Amino acid sequence: MIEIKNVTKYFRVGFFGTRKNAVEDLSLDIDGGKVTGFFGPNGAGKSTTIKMIVGLIKASKGSIKINGYDSFDYRARLKLGYLPENPSFPRGLKGIEIINYYAKLLNKKINKNEIYDALKLAGIFYAKNTQAHKYSKGMTQRLALAVSIIGDPEILIFDEPLSGLDPIGRKEFKDIIFKLKERKKTIFFSSHVLADSKELCDRIAVLVNGRLIKNENLENIEKEAAAYAEEKKEERLSGEYNTPLEVYLYDLMLKNRKN
Amino acid sequence: MKNILYGIMYSFKEIKNSKIFYSFLIFALILISGSYFVSQTSFISQGRIMVDFSIFAISIFNIFIGIFIGASVVYDDIEKKSIFLSITRPVKRTEYLTGRFLGLAAAIIFSTVIMMFIFYFVLLIMHKFIVPVVPNAGAAVSGAKSVHNVHSNNVNLQNNSASYAASGHPFTFYTLPQPLIIQGLFIIIESVFISAAALLFSLVTSKALASIFAILIFFIGNVSSRMNDLVKPVKKIIDGKVVIVHQANHILASIVRFIYTVLPNFSIFNISSEAAYKVNVSSGMILYRAAYGICYTTLLFIIASIIFSKKDIS
Repeated sequence: MIEIKNVTKYFRVGFFGTRKNAVEDLSLDIDGGKVTGFFGPNGAGKSTTIKMIVGLIKASKGSIKINGYDSFDYRARLKLGYLPENPSFPRGLKGIEIINYYAKLLNKKINKNEIYDALKLAGIFYAKNTQAHKYSKGMTQRLALAVSIIGDPEILIFDEPLSGLDPIGRKEFKDIIFKLKERKKTIFFSSHVLADSKELCDRIAVLVNGRLIKNENLENIEKEAAAYAEEKKEERLSGEYNTPLEVYLYDLMLKNRKN
Repeated sequence: MKNILYGIMYSFKEIKNSKIFYSFLIFALILISGSYFVSQTSFISQGRIMVDFSIFAISIFNIFIGIFIGASVVYDDIEKKSIFLSITRPVKRTEYLTGRFLGLAAAIIFSTVIMMFIFYFVLLIMHKFIVPVVPNAGAAVSGAKSVHNVHSNNVNLQNNSASYAASGHPFTFYTLPQPLIIQGLFIIIESVFISAAALLFSLVTSKALASIFAILIFFIGNVSSRMNDLVKPVKKIIDGKVVIVHQANHILASIVRFIYTVLPNFSIFNISSEAAYKVNVSSGMILYRAAYGICYTTLLFIIASIIFSKKDIS
């Protein structure tokens, strides 16, 4: 469904334009109908990878294909929905006007009921006639979610979907992801919150310093985590992380971090 | 094509609701309405002063809309990340940019039309500069009193309307003279043109710098033809021979000629003197100047599209 092959992305930084790798030689296949969690610390390159997948930035090397199309080709996005981190909308437009515009940009006919269903699923239907710049952060996030699921896309890419939400919002958002999972959608989401891993994911990929250090299905990674927990019995479970999987992922990131 | 159309409508709505657009529009309308008071400072040529002042207000505020909104229409989308949801739809980047740009062009047309209407109503109330529309003789009456009336301020409205009413028509419609309508059209072309420059600059630099560059281009483009005239050698015929009596520094002359050739010439869109004296503008000149503006705008937009299609948006 999504094939990422030997992708490297570098940016030029500083006065002399020194090359700085954000993602290095990343290869990853995202399977259809499954939820893949993309974990890593801040600055690991998760958002850069996601932006390359959705065609916002171009890979310096390697290729990314979605349903056989290059990620920069608009046809790659025919069945794709994307929820960015900290979404925002232009001033002065109502929620319903915004979602109507995005619905029209899909190459298929979307009726009013579908738009209303998306708004209801995202829990923002009640504020559809309010101007989007008056929304709270959680409401904006919900509107962006409604925009991303409109047209019933097969692939959903969420960049830090739970960041900045209150506990109620997080719970509701997770429920929405569960609902989408039941509908056999391909979901790829990034997060640095390890507690999200077990609840939501079928597969876990871990990125640290732009390098993919783990890409396994949940069962395998849980086995590894259990073995690791057994080994490190005496030092265990700290206050912050209280399941073997969380501890394993945390230690994995810590070990591979450069500084 | 459909995507471009939706983009235009969305952009137009967004710009129409923006504070900066409203502020410029309202300020321009105040100035146009206040042109009457400015004209009262003179005992003669009050109509001309009104026209000059109003055309200046319409022109400058549309240029401001073009520059400031042109520099922010895509830049702000990228800064605020609202572009993320647009171009991750099955939309080509060129379609998105075309929609945004034409939406801005539509907003400029909208504001110019509103300003021209208010200007028309002010002139109608003051009974200055407007010309009656007479069927089958429209061109003759509305157009051109041109050369004939070059030095007169008012059209003899009473006589025209009386003769028209006498022919059995209860109402007389008045219109703006041809050069004023053409000036309105040129203001639209000029503002869209400068907005294309601002849009292009905003894709390679910051919003503030893009606005400054666009203002500089506009300023230089307005004075370049005059500067070019200044550096031309001054010739005189002495004893039957053409003699150069003054020659500007060669380097300076080359720089001015280069600027004049490369940068757009905005002064051709200013026909306020023709408008103030009601001198008709020939259709050839209108077509040439409109084509110049449209071609240059298209060229700038194509360059902007190429840059935008390769740009990393993060």
